[in-house]
Amino acid sequence: MPTSPTARVTAFLTFFLTFWAGGLVLSNDDGEVLFVRRILPLLQTKCLACHVENGVMEGELALDSHESLLRGGSSGEPLIVWGKPEQSPLFLAVLRESEVWSAMPPKDAEKLTPQQMNWIKQWIEANAPWPAAERVEEIRRQYAQEWKAEDGVQVATSGGLTQEWSNRSYEPSGLWAYQKLVKPQANSGKKLVEGSAAIDYWIEKRLPPDLSVAPACDAATFIRRASYDLTGLPPTPEEVTQFQDAFARDSEVAVADLIDRLLESPHYGERMAQHWLDVVRYADSSGFANDYERGNAWRYRDYVIRAFNRDLPYDQFVRQQIAGDELEPVDHEAIIATGYLRMGPWELTGMEVPKVARQRFLDDITNSIGECFLAHSLQCARCHDHKFDPVPTRDYYSIQAALSTTQIAERAVPFLETENRGGFQEESYLQRKLLECQDTLAQLDEQLLTNAAEWFRKNEKDPSLWERTLSELRDKTADSDRIFRDLFGKARTALGRSGAAEDSYPPKLVGFEPEQFGLERVARKGIERLQWELDRYHEYAHAVYSGPTPRLRAVTAPLRMSATASNDAEQELSKILIGGDPFSEGPAVVPGVLSAIGMLGREAISESVSGRRLALANWIVDSKNPLTARVMVNRVWMWHFGLPIAGNPNNFGSTGKHPTHPELLDWLAVSLIESGWSVKQLHRWIMCSQTYRRSCVHPQFDELVRLDPLQNSYAVFQPRRLTAEEIRDSMLMQSGELNLEIGGIPCRPEINLEAALQPRMVMGTFAAAWAPNPLPADRHRRSIYVLRLRGLTDPALEVFNSPPLDFSCERREESTVTPQVFSLLNSEASYKRSLALANRVLKEFKPEGKTPSDVERKQIIHRLFKMVLMRQPSEFEVAQCVMHWNNTARMSKDSKVHVERPPVRVLREAIEENTGERFSFTETIYANADFVPDLLPEDCDEETRSLAEVCLVLFNSNEFIFVY
Amino acid sequence: MKSEVSIQHEPNASTMHRRQVLYGLGASIGAIALNALVNIEAYSGDHNAVDDAGVLAPRNGHVAAKAKNCIFLMMEGGPSHIDTFDPKPHLQKVHLQEFTREGKQKSAMESGKRYYVQSPFKFKKMGQSGADMAENWENLARVADDLCFFRGCQVDSVNHPTAMYQMNCGNRFGGDPAIGAWVTYGLGSENQDLPGFIVLPEVSYPQGGAANWSNGYLPAAFQGTPLRPKGSPILDLAPPNGVSREQQRANLDLLGALNREHHKQFPWHDDLEVRIQNYELAFRMQAQVPGLLDVSREDQNTQAMYGLGEPLTDSFGKKCLLARKMIESGVRFVQLYHGTWDSHDYIERAHGNLVRAVDKPIAALIRDLKQRGLLESTLVVWCGEFGRTPDNGVRGGTAYGRDHNPNAMTIWLAGGGCNAGHTIGATDELGMTAVEDVHPIRDFHVTLLRLLGLDDNKLTYYHAGRFKQLSQFGGKVIDKLIA
Repeated sequence: MPTSPTARVTAFLTFFLTFWAGGLVLSNDDGEVLFVRRILPLLQTKCLACHVENGVMEGELALDSHESLLRGGSSGEPLIVWGKPEQSPLFLAVLRESEVWSAMPPKDAEKLTPQQMNWIKQWIEANAPWPAAERVEEIRRQYAQEWKAEDGVQVATSGGLTQEWSNRSYEPSGLWAYQKLVKPQANSGKKLVEGSAAIDYWIEKRLPPDLSVAPACDAATFIRRASYDLTGLPPTPEEVTQFQDAFARDSEVAVADLIDRLLESPHYGERMAQHWLDVVRYADSSGFANDYERGNAWRYRDYVIRAFNRDLPYDQFVRQQIAGDELEPVDHEAIIATGYLRMGPWELTGMEVPKVARQRFLDDITNSIGECFLAHSLQCARCHDHKFDPVPTRDYYSIQAALSTTQIAERAVPFLETENRGGFQEESYLQRKLLECQDTLAQLDEQLLTNAAEWFRKNEKDPSLWERTLSELRDKTADSDRIFRDLFGKARTALGRSGAAEDSYPPKLVGFEPEQFGLERVARKGIERLQWELDRYHEYAHAVYSGPTPRLRAVTAPLRMSATASNDAEQELSKILIGGDPFSEGPAVVPGVLSAIGMLGREAISESVSGRRLALANWIVDSKNPLTARVMVNRVWMWHFGLPIAGNPNNFGSTGKHPTHPELLDWLAVSLIESGWSVKQLHRWIMCSQTYRRSCVHPQFDELVRLDPLQNSYAVFQPRRLTAEEIRDSMLMQSGELNLEIGGIPCRPEINLEAALQPRMVMGTFAAAWAPNPLPADRHRRSIYVLRLRGLTDPALEVFNSPPLDFSCERREESTVTPQVFSLLNSEASYKRSLALANRVLKEFKPEGKTPSDVERKQIIHRLFKMVLMRQPSEFEVAQCVMHWNNTARMSKDSKVHVERPPVRVLREAIEENTGERFSFTETIYANADFVPDLLPEDCDEETRSLAEVCLVLFNSNEFIFVY
Repeated sequence: MKSEVSIQHEPNASTMHRRQVLYGLGASIGAIALNALVNIEAYSGDHNAVDDAGVLAPRNGHVAAKAKNCIFLMMEGGPSHIDTFDPKPHLQKVHLQEFTREGKQKSAMESGKRYYVQSPFKFKKMGQSGADMAENWENLARVADDLCFFRGCQVDSVNHPTAMYQMNCGNRFGGDPAIGAWVTYGLGSENQDLPGFIVLPEVSYPQGGAANWSNGYLPAAFQGTPLRPKGSPILDLAPPNGVSREQQRANLDLLGALNREHHKQFPWHDDLEVRIQNYELAFRMQAQVPGLLDVSREDQNTQAMYGLGEPLTDSFGKKCLLARKMIESGVRFVQLYHGTWDSHDYIERAHGNLVRAVDKPIAALIRDLKQRGLLESTLVVWCGEFGRTPDNGVRGGTAYGRDHNPNAMTIWLAGGGCNAGHTIGATDELGMTAVEDVHPIRDFHVTLLRLLGLDDNKLTYYHAGRFKQLSQFGGKVIDKLIA
């Protein structure tokens, strides 16, 4: 390799040395101190992972001793040229400007800071001293006090994998979340303020000087904002009017009453559950290869709704979800609550090593508990001590040890009085599907027996043993009421067991055509998949229990507790897994918690089989735990303002954004605990504050932009786009079609028909088509009840940022993309809602269906605006809409919109796995035979159809989509 | 020197962070796309020349690029290297020899009674380079010297969706951006009216579904846009039957009028303007997209070369032809799916048919790119999510097939500056595991990026507390794959 630096580098160096790093050359002693203080730690953190003797040695270069440094790597050149940093490869590499020496460390994100580069330069100038180990220790001792003060703080933990990690120091600002929770005193004019006033106090404290705040918003804006925030639904025109009247009388009382009313609404729980389910990744299927349905996940979803509706204290809510079964072993509600631990995607196929799948489950719940309740992404510590936070790998496995007796099961739990059991009759469609699959297999069995006879003839083999075996089997199964007896398969097995030569009887699936290979697989796998779906109507809960770990091979049917508990189970011993690998066990650990926080005066978690999770949960919700309350109030705040106080609700570590209003966060956290963990009380404080009631319009907009460029001062209320679910629910509500029933088995609305019938591969077969509920009322339930499959999301929800279901969503995205236009403007769903709304409004005015007069047309437009946008239209708007209505009637005289009906039979085409040939089969969607359509264009007169186009435009308007 | 990249310097306002504004499928307008740009500017390293042109504006890579575009042929299900490009004559000697495998570290699939299976296919040395190919690659054999075979890749998962996620996104558990998303993030795209990353899936979506072409945590602009092979290429591209274009235009005019009135009250609210423009773009796209998918104007010879009109090859031939058209139109990254190659049983029949379905179209694609002078600048990748085992489990009798094998597979590259005419790496004599030039999948990803002029260590994005990258934690360029 050439050695002379290029002209470019020289020029850069000149600049570097002249303007920035000039100064005295250090003495040798100082050089040694610099080495111990700065250079050695830099080498350790930035270089040694790849350059260590007897380990990884990239470029044959080691950097762990003076000798290796002077020896250099594959280039054969020493890394240091005494006293001459500008010629030393080490320095040139970290400068990252050389064309000869590759930039080090390789990742841009890990490059050295200018200060760190300067240390290396100074050290080389001082002739790069590398003192012996004893001298290093001596220097460390000598400067210990001084350096400690400079470096920030150490944090006591259970200990890292290395001594360096255990001894490292932290920038104090990054440890904000570990600080003891103390209620900051809001002293306004020497008077202690509480409640909403305290919130305003803390916001004002941090308001940029000279920035004025926006005035309060008007009544209509407020009720729309508050209704969406607490119920996810718009107010009705009547509610708006009533509130406006009350607001005019006494705005304070009106606001407080409104909030109380909304908090008492059963839809409050639905709205909060929607937020919570984002955090815990709720889905009705298991994801990955099989994406089996989780028939009973809905019971956990309804538990969450109930918990919020009855204002279950948050600490109890946490306890029940993590350890309800241990806390209240006979309380069915508490067992259902542990469904939380089952929310991650999980499966065990025959292709996976069972221990790996088990470890995946443990890793999933360990990290989930960290993210959901402690705002710590614990998975960082799975393979190594946390790079930035005081979370050693030992802690990760200690917390996991508290979960290592946790076993998954669909547990027998009777239905509760409070659970909605409507719609169970739909099970009959699945039963018909089951019969169909069994029937197919029975027919194919007959076919195989015919093929077998043919095989014996063709191969001139003696069929007598085969026929004798068959007839025995026929006798044995004669009384069976099973349609599919699998005579062919059983005969083969019997002969195989009897020791008959494999070539003396027909091979499996003998003589099948591609079509038959396909049909057999679809039917067989179909039965397997149906078991999971059928669980939905039976009294099982998607839950966990504490016990030894059962030996599993593959999980293809719902796991019952009785079956798994008796299996030769083994008590797991918890050990640190080196590099996160379940087969490289390190030191043993005992159940524990985040050691940086400590036990908070609690007893150590016992190693008994049962009770570990409960102890962990009790520690999480201990009022002295500095994280838990802060994490929850931060979430609730974000649910109201769209903006969290600490910018990453799932990450309170040093890499997460620090709180913009730390006193406010702490005030809210302590107040939550003081209120007995009442989330409803938290909403009251927040929503009655002046901060929450501000308008979105700031009178001095330019000043706002100048003084609050990051838009986090709360001087003005930030508008937000409706979420995917709010858009759908609002349209249904305004069109009068929404079914407001609470809870129950998931519903299946009509989704884009092509997406509904889109073949979807799952392990070895195709998932069933999306079958909408036959009855409109069952389809038109709130979006929180829509069946959530990991493998198939309603594209209309997805395009408006409903979150992916495999990872905890700390905060919804709000993107604006063109496919949203296609969905909201072109979809049949939008058209149907518009038509129903038009029909509803026209019926109000003209129940007998006469043509409305010009005056009535204007009134109808007025009414539409009140319903959809909660305000009176301007004259301009009325004129535009009436004109559009009339023009549409003229334009579309001869054409009618055609809405498709979901088909009962669908032809499916695919490449068959056994043959690599295309094959097709017909899927029957039994529910579609009973399908009752929504209001259709042909049911409406031309006035209605034309007005529907106006409604469609309103549903697409910016004003409808944004909340101010 | 640029200021250091540090999380404390994170520039984006918190509200901006989640409002990733994409204007259209491809195009962007002025300052409106700024929100997404702020992120790109901050994190895509030194190279970015992002300006008002938009999130998909073409950008320079980090290093000199060999290739400008990429066509990724994803053979979903796991093609068998042993029966395609990596002959194992030793298997003839042990054919049907039985053995038993057990252990805690083994899956149910690997355990129990097993037997070896020889390949039913004959192999030949093809081209000047003498590349090993099964004889049934009749057409591909004629472009053998344009291919660079790689036998050293290993993956971490034996299940389809997780292995697919890893091949497509670097991370086994999904949720991360796909390669195509990273590449368009790094390089933008040449055509602002089309998505930069287009996917042509099979009629049935692969295991793992749309997460295979996800933008992950990157802005939504970089998401792969699947063009469905049947029905409407993009869902709801057209209004319901019976709604005339005239009616749509009138609806949009009313919508525009109402939105402009509303905007007067909130002139500072950028998202309002974005939505207004978005509706107009959607209206234009309704007319444009169908044309993009029309292959009927290609001449007869070209259609025949790709195997259009022949039952076995028509489907994949059309995709290959579309891929060429898209690359010509300046789309950055096109991914094609074919499957399923999951031949647990009857491998002769299954793989035989699968090879016949793709052989002619793929060979045509390479020839066609070459004759148009596009092969040099277009990297073509052929791979599955893993290879297959030399042995099979006894599952109700002998039916020669193969199980999943994460330790050995064959990937090949063509064009785009790859080391054509060479075979890199080797597997053991049974084809069980890679033994020469062994590399984890992240090295392969880093190499792909390098061929496209991107440095994986610079192509990072700050998310969930750290800078993330396609290779997850960094990888090595496999120099031997580069010419």
